[in-house]
Amino acid sequence: MSAPRPPVFEVRGLERTYGEGTAAVHALRGIDLHIDPGELLVLLGPSGSGKSTLLNILGGLDRPTGGSVRFGDLDLGTADDAALTDYRRHHVGFVFQFYNLIASLTARENVELVTEVADDPMPADEALRLVGLGERLTHFPAQLSGGEQQRVAIARAIAKRPTVLLCDEPTGALDVATGVRVLESLVRINETLGTTTLLITHNADIARIGDRVVRFADGRVRSDEANPTRVAPSELHW
Amino acid sequence: MKPLDRKLWRDLRRLWMQAIAVGLVLGSGIALFVMSTGMYGSLERARDRYYDRSHMADLASALVRAPDRVGRELAALPGLAAVETRVTGIGLISLPEVVEPVSARLVSLPAGRRPTVNDLVLRSGAWPDAQRSDEVLVNEAFAEVHGLRPGDPLDMLLRGKRRVLRISGIASSPEFVFAVAPGDILPEPRRFGVVWMGREALGRALDLDGAFNDVVLRLTPDASARAVSADVDRLLAPHGGRGVYGRDRMLSARYLSDELSQLRTMASVLPPVFLLVAVFLINVTLSRLVATERANIGLLKAFGYRNGVIALHYAEFALVFCALAAVLGLVLGGFVGGYMADIYRAVYRLPVLEFEPGWATWLGALGVALLAAVLGAAVAVARAVSLPPATALSPPAPTHFGRLGAGVERAARRLDARARMLVRRIVRFPRRSATTVAGIAFALALLILSDNFPAVVDRIISINFGVAQRMDVSVTFAERQHERVLRELARLPGVEAVEPLRTAEVILSAGPRRQRDALIGVPEGAWLNRIIGEDERPVQPRADGLTLSEGLAGKLGVGVGDRVRIEATDGRRVAFEVPVVALIKPFIGGAAYMDQRALGRLLREPERIDSAYLRIDPAARDVLAARLKGIPAIVGVTFADNAEASLRQLFDQGTGFFAFMFLSFSLVMAAGVAFSAARVTLGEQERDLATLRVLGFRRSEASWVLLGELGVLLAVAIPIGLVLGFALSQWLMSEFETEIFSFPFVFDPPTYARAVLFVVAAVVAAALWVRRDVDRLDLVSVLKSRE
Repeated sequence: MSAPRPPVFEVRGLERTYGEGTAAVHALRGIDLHIDPGELLVLLGPSGSGKSTLLNILGGLDRPTGGSVRFGDLDLGTADDAALTDYRRHHVGFVFQFYNLIASLTARENVELVTEVADDPMPADEALRLVGLGERLTHFPAQLSGGEQQRVAIARAIAKRPTVLLCDEPTGALDVATGVRVLESLVRINETLGTTTLLITHNADIARIGDRVVRFADGRVRSDEANPTRVAPSELHW
Repeated sequence: MKPLDRKLWRDLRRLWMQAIAVGLVLGSGIALFVMSTGMYGSLERARDRYYDRSHMADLASALVRAPDRVGRELAALPGLAAVETRVTGIGLISLPEVVEPVSARLVSLPAGRRPTVNDLVLRSGAWPDAQRSDEVLVNEAFAEVHGLRPGDPLDMLLRGKRRVLRISGIASSPEFVFAVAPGDILPEPRRFGVVWMGREALGRALDLDGAFNDVVLRLTPDASARAVSADVDRLLAPHGGRGVYGRDRMLSARYLSDELSQLRTMASVLPPVFLLVAVFLINVTLSRLVATERANIGLLKAFGYRNGVIALHYAEFALVFCALAAVLGLVLGGFVGGYMADIYRAVYRLPVLEFEPGWATWLGALGVALLAAVLGAAVAVARAVSLPPATALSPPAPTHFGRLGAGVERAARRLDARARMLVRRIVRFPRRSATTVAGIAFALALLILSDNFPAVVDRIISINFGVAQRMDVSVTFAERQHERVLRELARLPGVEAVEPLRTAEVILSAGPRRQRDALIGVPEGAWLNRIIGEDERPVQPRADGLTLSEGLAGKLGVGVGDRVRIEATDGRRVAFEVPVVALIKPFIGGAAYMDQRALGRLLREPERIDSAYLRIDPAARDVLAARLKGIPAIVGVTFADNAEASLRQLFDQGTGFFAFMFLSFSLVMAAGVAFSAARVTLGEQERDLATLRVLGFRRSEASWVLLGELGVLLAVAIPIGLVLGFALSQWLMSEFETEIFSFPFVFDPPTYARAVLFVVAAVVAAALWVRRDVDRLDLVSVLKSRE
């Protein structure tokens, strides 16, 4: 049996409070979590339960107010802004509910935006083929459907071969059929590239596609359970 | 307060920086409008009131000598409302503290009454006692410079005889708003004054007992100046009448009307440019606001708010900007206008000159502010109104971008993705890009225009005193002298070179056109006083005909080869015809020129001169001045350095101050445009910049897109602004041209460089200021919100 690989993220007693005194909002109240390489982890919970806050901290967009969070040797809680920028640049891919594509760049160019500055990127065309958009390379965002735009966003996120892919409600703005195609892209990337993927959703059905489901409520982890089997996105109904 | 009003105030607080930028630019425009229109009106009204109250002469004539009965004959002529016959002359004043000779224009006052034409305003003291022959009035500017007060003695030399007079009062006259010494073109109160004396006393002193040598006339409202002039000329001809002239040949009146026309040019040209830019800024700011408020507009409509209410809500932003600007502009314009009136009062001796813009100007300014608000808001408000609620509530589709032309795309392929973003954005929003470019270009052009003015003045002065008039001293004689006086002048201490000048006041005519002007005889090979043409080369007037200034040739309707009839109005009063042999555009003082000796022969007064120019050893200046002061035949001595200083002062105080204010406003405008452009560009790119930051681009890399776009627009705007500034300066200088001053078009590279430097600095400062917002971008909230 091979030695267990070290976790990608190691989270201990993580806290995040916004504001002070009576107006303070405790978004995270002591989260403990470790995330293994290659995992597809689903963070499930109602809005305001703290899952997005956690994702932002893991992605280097926000800082905790207590506890620790490590990415390998990097302490994300104490790293300065430049270090966090480098961390995002080399290790993190983001996908948001709103696609945030640059409207003035074509699909391929949106991906190239990342490949131009990454260390060991895959060709932009290949990233787009991975999400099934090999035929739409030269289209501008305005010429693409919502699902296609989201898949360009995914291609852009994975083109740098990130260590982790952080997806915040990537299907939130999409209809079921389109959402399924987007999820299929994410699963395919997780399987073929082995990218550790964190997926936020408040849809319990979608949680079935993950290796593990972490349920959030009121800033705390309510449960952390492995799925006995991963369900293919095409089998989902919501 | 209604919820929408509360929203308005809160949003305004958020937009305070843009409100200030728009307010400053529009406010500057309104201030300029109030100041220039108000000053123009105030000066014109003050002049007209003064002229009216003091019965400013419509016509005047000098003559050799006419008995008093001719005055009664003049009064009987039809078309004349008032006639005042006078004794006038030139006297020398001895002031111990002034080294050079001080001369005075002597003007008689009628016995026992006030003048019916060119009446005086007594500023202090009393009218001369009719019983005393030694009491005089002196003009205000002269009294101020020398600290003279009523009761002070005045030591004068009248026709070689010394007399100690007593100043009974200080006065001003519409005739001497600008008091200019004979032979000069600029007022120099230090060495030239006006002294009013009782008619009898002055008549006796000048050997004009029971006679007069000057007449000033006022026309009845329906009289024809031409017909009356002919009648007066006919009556005065036997008495050495030198020809009637109107206000256009009265130097003081001419200065005033020139200043007024320059003010009018400024008032009509400059404020509109500011207002245009303000309209751009309001348009850009409000369009951006409506774009970000898309969802709110949909919501309001979904709640059942009517289009009119929504339109008003967004129009109110512009109205608030404009109210702010109007308050700023009116207060600033009023304040600066008041200050400007103080300056004008010091230069123009008008008894009452207050800055009174009048209701029309105030209302005009408010109207202009409102117009700017309406024009600026129209497009954005229309867009808000036309948004269907459902569309407004759903997230906007990404902006449509297309591929650029094949050539551009090929070139773009060599760029990185961020550069491509930049190029496509500029090309995709041509109107917005053009607005920014136009704003920056206008700001640059205005800076060049206003900063160019001092360079023009420098050029006028350097040409006039460096190239044209290279004498150190010019000497004007009381009466025409024989050339041998030059030899005497040459023997004075410190004199290194002497050069004569002959001037004749003549009437030039060609067909029905007549023009009174000076005909100047320049000696062959003149090098102390040279006539300089537009190309800055000296022009040698010829012996075989007239060299005419273009302005005068235009009025006479003649060109090279045409013949002009000349009638001398003094001396032997000969008349002759000469061809025009050359046209020139002199820098200062447009007139007619000829070779001095040839002119003397034609006037049948050979070897006679009116003034002389000296080149001196600077060390001997005071000794020479004292010697010149003791020569009774000399009534005027001008040291070139003094003349230069007074010319500069004239520019600095009048138009120069305006130019300075204008420069300040242009600086504000450049900064306002730069800031607004940077802020709006950031507003539009916020999401893209946040995306770049999330993707791992460093702050500097992300800011590059923002700064790069501004940089490209700036790079496009600079050449346009340079060309625009060049063209505007050229045009404005031609508008400024008067009969006395021709404003050369000066291309002064440092002016352009300074203007570019400032605009670049303003844009960079604004961009860096706004860039701080890139550092503060809340990445999560920007990216998680819908656009």
